[in-house]
Amino acid sequence: MKTLDKNTTASAPGRESRTADPLGPNSEIGRKLKQYYDDLVHDEVPDRFAELLGQLERAETAQDKD
Amino acid sequence: MAVTAGFKDDLLKAIPSLRAFAVSLSQNVDKADDLVQETLVKAWDKHESFQPGTNLKAWLFTILRNEFYSQMRKRGREVQDTDGIMTARLAVHPAQHGQLDLDDFRSALEQLPEDQREAIILIGASGFSYEEAAEICGCAIGTIKSRVSRARSRLQEIMQISGEEDFGPDAISTQVMTSPAD
Repeated sequence: MKTLDKNTTASAPGRESRTADPLGPNSEIGRKLKQYYDDLVHDEVPDRFAELLGQLERAETAQDKD
Repeated sequence: MAVTAGFKDDLLKAIPSLRAFAVSLSQNVDKADDLVQETLVKAWDKHESFQPGTNLKAWLFTILRNEFYSQMRKRGREVQDTDGIMTARLAVHPAQHGQLDLDDFRSALEQLPEDQREAIILIGASGFSYEEAAEICGCAIGTIKSRVSRARSRLQEIMQISGEEDFGPDAISTQVMTSPAD
């Protein structure tokens, strides 16, 4: 499975990754894309989602009692 | 059969990734949060159709993506609410990684058609393989590859980045992090 792992090629400058990855660490676009995305992933998550899952769980428990 | 505690925990853990994908795809934080909400509800409702041991993240991304396109079809293509996006982003994101650089990138990403944007996100950011991305998007692997390639070229064009390293504002970190251009 081909996954893009930050740790694999960063410490080996000049070495071609397995398939000359056009979005790898030597790619400006690849780096910006990952920075952009990582900022989003590390954003604070609003409470509404945990609350939603809690509600769904309670609704299900209530049904199971029938 | 009830949802297990493990499944619920896995859903919770997936939320940051789902949110990142939703924001990248819709380019609107409010819409993205609604998409994530819808996805969680749907995933819960059809939890029995998920095969334990298979890729939950891919399964969830597929649900979210389908919901995104289904909403787009229902509403017709809406004009992007760029004020809404900028306001939301300023509220949510602290200045890191050179805010201006990333804003340029975000607006370049926004200019891509959705199919190219989602392809380059799935492959270049979410960490899926071409095979997984093709399954998520319901198309051939070759189609994903060509979309990624076109997206990358277009982004380079918009941001005026050549194939070699660009000596932009982050030139110093570029030199530190990479070898000289091959």
